[in-house]
Amino acid sequence: MDFLKCPVPGYENVTVEFGTLASTYPPPFIYIQDIQALRTTLNAVDAILRDISNSNASMLHRSKVYYAKADCISCFTPRLFYEAVINSLVGWEPDWEEGCSNWAADGVVGAKWNENMDMFLHGLRAAHQYLCRQSGIGISESQGQLRKTPKGKGKAKEVPEAGFDGVRFIIVVERVERLKESQPEMIVPLTRLAELARIDLSVVFVSQVGWEDVKPPLGASPDPYYIDIHAPSKEHIVQSLVSNFSSLSSSASSSPSSSLTPYHPALEPLYSHFITILCDVCFPFTHDPAELQYIAAARWPGFCKPVLDEHKKTAKNSNLHSNGDADVDMDVDDGEERDSLFDEGEPSTTSMPITTDVRMRLTRLFNPSLTQAVESLVPRLSNAADWAKANDPQPNLLSLPPGKASLGQTHGSMATPSDATRSLPRMSKFILLASYLASTNPAKSDIRIFGRGVDEKKRRRRRAVPKTSGKTKSGGPSKIPQRLLGPTAFPLDRMLAILGALLEENDVDSRMLNRQFIIPGEETDMEISRVGVFASIVELTSMRLLHRASPPDRLDGPPQFKAAISYDTALALARQLKIALNDLLWDPM
Amino acid sequence: MPSMDSPNLDDVNKTVFCIPYVPRDEATGSMPKLPTSVGEDRDLDNGEELRLLAYKEAWRGCLNRMQQIIQELQNASIKAVLEEVRSSYTDILPGLPYPELPVISVINPGLGSSFLDEVSVHLESPTSSSNVQCLVAHLYPGDFPNVATGMRSIISGLMEREDMQDGGIVSSLDWRYKTKSSGIVKRKTPSSSLANYDIKFLFAWYRNRFKSSGTLISAKFTSLSHFRSGTNESSSPLLVIVLHDFEQLDPHVMQDIFYVCSGSIPALPLVFLVSMSSPASNYLNAIYSTSTVALLRVRSITVPAGNAVLQELLLKTFFDAHFEPMIMFGPAVLEFLQDYFTRYHSSTDAIITILQVAHLRHFTSDPLTLLVRDTPSADVLSKPGKYVDMDADESHPLSNVPRIIDNVNDARRAFYSRLRSLRLGFGVMICIQSFLEDGGYKGLDWSVDAKKGGLCTAMINLLKGHFTRDVKELVRYTRKLRRDELTTLSGRLHEIFSGLPPSVLSEERASLDQLARIKNSVSESGASDVPPADISASLSDWVAQYLGESLKLPEEGILWDIWYTGLAPFPSELLNPSLRASMMAGLLRPHDYVDDINANDIEPAPKEIWELPDISILFKRYLDSGKMINVYDWFESFKSVLDSQRLNVKEPASPKKRGRQKAQAPETTEDDEKWDTEVQARFIRALHELDYLGFIKHTNRKADHLLRTVFDVDDAD
Repeated sequence: MDFLKCPVPGYENVTVEFGTLASTYPPPFIYIQDIQALRTTLNAVDAILRDISNSNASMLHRSKVYYAKADCISCFTPRLFYEAVINSLVGWEPDWEEGCSNWAADGVVGAKWNENMDMFLHGLRAAHQYLCRQSGIGISESQGQLRKTPKGKGKAKEVPEAGFDGVRFIIVVERVERLKESQPEMIVPLTRLAELARIDLSVVFVSQVGWEDVKPPLGASPDPYYIDIHAPSKEHIVQSLVSNFSSLSSSASSSPSSSLTPYHPALEPLYSHFITILCDVCFPFTHDPAELQYIAAARWPGFCKPVLDEHKKTAKNSNLHSNGDADVDMDVDDGEERDSLFDEGEPSTTSMPITTDVRMRLTRLFNPSLTQAVESLVPRLSNAADWAKANDPQPNLLSLPPGKASLGQTHGSMATPSDATRSLPRMSKFILLASYLASTNPAKSDIRIFGRGVDEKKRRRRRAVPKTSGKTKSGGPSKIPQRLLGPTAFPLDRMLAILGALLEENDVDSRMLNRQFIIPGEETDMEISRVGVFASIVELTSMRLLHRASPPDRLDGPPQFKAAISYDTALALARQLKIALNDLLWDPM
Repeated sequence: MPSMDSPNLDDVNKTVFCIPYVPRDEATGSMPKLPTSVGEDRDLDNGEELRLLAYKEAWRGCLNRMQQIIQELQNASIKAVLEEVRSSYTDILPGLPYPELPVISVINPGLGSSFLDEVSVHLESPTSSSNVQCLVAHLYPGDFPNVATGMRSIISGLMEREDMQDGGIVSSLDWRYKTKSSGIVKRKTPSSSLANYDIKFLFAWYRNRFKSSGTLISAKFTSLSHFRSGTNESSSPLLVIVLHDFEQLDPHVMQDIFYVCSGSIPALPLVFLVSMSSPASNYLNAIYSTSTVALLRVRSITVPAGNAVLQELLLKTFFDAHFEPMIMFGPAVLEFLQDYFTRYHSSTDAIITILQVAHLRHFTSDPLTLLVRDTPSADVLSKPGKYVDMDADESHPLSNVPRIIDNVNDARRAFYSRLRSLRLGFGVMICIQSFLEDGGYKGLDWSVDAKKGGLCTAMINLLKGHFTRDVKELVRYTRKLRRDELTTLSGRLHEIFSGLPPSVLSEERASLDQLARIKNSVSESGASDVPPADISASLSDWVAQYLGESLKLPEEGILWDIWYTGLAPFPSELLNPSLRASMMAGLLRPHDYVDDINANDIEPAPKEIWELPDISILFKRYLDSGKMINVYDWFESFKSVLDSQRLNVKEPASPKKRGRQKAQAPETTEDDEKWDTEVQARFIRALHELDYLGFIKHTNRKADHLLRTVFDVDDAD
């Protein structure tokens, strides 16, 4: 299969296997699974199929291949799926002027093959006929097993020009796992599409999930031909990231203001060095090439900036030297000047003056920031552009003495939980805290934790149980703390009671003076049943800081809620309210 | 008594009867009345209307001022959002693995939806300086019940928007002609064309309207090289989708919508503007999966909120030398406002509501408040009020109306001038304090900086009269300042006074001159770091003297309560009542709500149980029972109360209860039967009312028993 070039490093085997199948005798149903780098696999499959469909006939493959991709998230209804497949098989682009009509076979007006699976099959066959005719293949020849060919039969047999014997469809269904949730009824017909449509057709499922998890019950679908994609190795990722550089630099140089972009071709050796370091640092955390490229895109402009600065400076100096007595030229437009210089120096800069020493210094300087980049970029706490801006190194880093040159504090825009909750109203903070306690403490512990006798001020706490490994005395497995199991639902009344206890102990001093209440606790009793409290609860629910666990239309009984804040947030809230949270937890940290 | 329209209740063919409400004769014809004042006996004939007019004027002034301040507060954020939206497709970091969908999350816990409306007005205005046009679609949580409907709302929202503001974007005439000729109308066979929730439908429309050429989206960005060149042309507008109340949107729906939309950029320049009401800045990270967030480029813009807003509003409305509110609020109202704002609802809406209620209350409580803005003419005032007993006092003040009018006018002038100097004095205090903070000193207990807070408390303390210590401190600090500090401070103070509006400036001329003198003498006093003692003393002396003169409580003049609420508390129970307490009070003491509170000041005699409405009778018996209530026993006790009611009503003919006066005839067994039916009906009705209010829990544990839900009621009776 030498005509197929591998689109992405590391996919050589897949290219050969899948390419051969697709171009010769594909099984009707192929299942490609990739756990780590689905996006890359999708691109690779797309590239392979594009190559095959563009290639000419040869000894090995005598069928013209047309392929279509359908994404199961984008195609959230069967209709969208049918339209996406057929329109892209025939290369039809709906036009607004034509009322966005779908592709229709010649002479058929208002073909409604997007209605259901049956019509879709008809549509597929119509498309097949149409494409056969286009490629100059007689329909009956290509479909020997076709017993009835209503339209194609009448056509005169044409001599195949391009040397193709038939037309083959390959339908790639991406992210199949979503099909199981949204349109489970689609799976069985799709897996049997070839026998249903009775044309030369192959369906390729691509998913992160294994077939055994998607498979419909009762063996309704045939078993697929499996292709498993292995996790990409570090070397392959490095290769593929470095290979992106040339396309980036060509697109960068095509834009007008590209005097000294980070993607100048002369920087390619440094870039490959950079990518090697980056992958060394980041590969343990993520194997997804897209993520690694994301990090690279955020860090590279900063990484090469010292080199560019240096180059700018030397260029200016040499310029000064050469124009030593001609001061008039001094206010030539700076950008232009540099541009020309860099272009002139291009032959020399390809063998760049980036010495090993400079590389070492850069590596030492930027290595720590790479880990920070992983921390804030992979979970997307910050986006690449903002991160790159926030972590731009100071100018002329390389000209500083080695001791002084440092990147300074790297800024990840890590939002701490206390920032997030600081501007909540005070009562909302109390409510959140009370609901957190209600969600983590068992209900039977409330009286012990919050109950206060007339004279005893000390709460009766559970004695801290020494942690035994895995087993308790009775031999059963030790109980996992509720904090780790997730919040439990609690009735509103219980939360209000806890809120009352919290308010009585921690909020009395901050209240406005009210002489009306004499009995201790009476005012708190009034406070927890105020409209404002209930309004806050509803508002917190709409902010998703509380979850309503019971359906909103159920009027019987108190509504159930769940806390949706983490331990850290609860701790931050408690600190703001000056409450010792650990004293109130049944399982203190 | 059967009348024309009373339904025949015995008709077996009907399952439902409609008994229309026929109001009684005396109730009809009475128009809704304006609230009367507490001091009604001192009021003028048309006092209510006059006070309503005065209220309107005072409130309008206050509201306009506050809206202006809010506008200024949000201006910076609006600018940031606009900038961000317009540049969302121009300044893209090269080298990204795939294009990211720009999402701008506006964290707006305080300012309400007016902020986004303002933003979209600016975005769509064709006269804006930027050449980037935007189509803005506003969508709400109800538009996104599932993915298909959500996509349809987005697509139709954008298309409708374009139809509406047609002229703004169309560049040439023939172009517009094309727009008209081909519309959605042309879709004759919708089933054989693209679905209207398909993103390709939007793409086809967009390409037709705004781009001369384009390729199928899916082929467009499979390779990286296309990515950067795909940025929008200057003529094609950005498609901005504003999602209000973003937290209420279902994340499962939204993650798919984001995925679908991210698949069609940058060919379709979509920008999402999401409005968050929670103050958390990482909502998207917390709720959505990483794979979804990885598709987005999220930028957050936080709108000012919290204490800073309250402080700014109060300071600029009530303590600003450039604005004169007609009504000044006393410490009690401001304290309540601060408490409510920090405790329950930190939004500008809450501030405006509270201040409006406070205005209303002020104008309804005192009849004299009609004098707030100007004094009515002598003719109006000479008319004897409806309640004034002219004969009571020979030397009644009404006999000398013109002099009174003059007195009132003088009092008004005096009050406003006192208030003005109070504001100015506070301004001087703030100026010195902020100067001290800038210099790194601690200064007073409160801080001008909104983060540390305390300025609101300082305002309240000022009105309470607790400022002598602060003044002393400030005088002490100013005495110890270095030379350059003295120069700066006197310069700043001079600026305050020279920037005053002319009407105020004329009164403060002396202070201005003195400050100028001090400023000059400092600069002329040589170059040494330590200024001569007399100069440093001169400033602090001036501060002491000025603050001593200007900081005077508003209560000191006559008639101050017309323009100042003083210590009158805010009716907090109106805004934030306690549900349980008010419900209990209503059930236990219903007459407190029905009767006129002002009728007689003496405590009304506690009512007998038979005088209460049915539901209250039932509730009292409910409180007497144990945890479970036997319904039959309950009914029996209810019946005994009603029997005593019947007896009592029959004898002195109290007109309270409906339809029982006729029972004068000697009792017959037929009457008794009727009475029993009535008691039963009334019992069931009251029982259902209690059930509806949530006092009863049904249970199958015991026959004929109900569970109580409310215990330990502090029954005062």
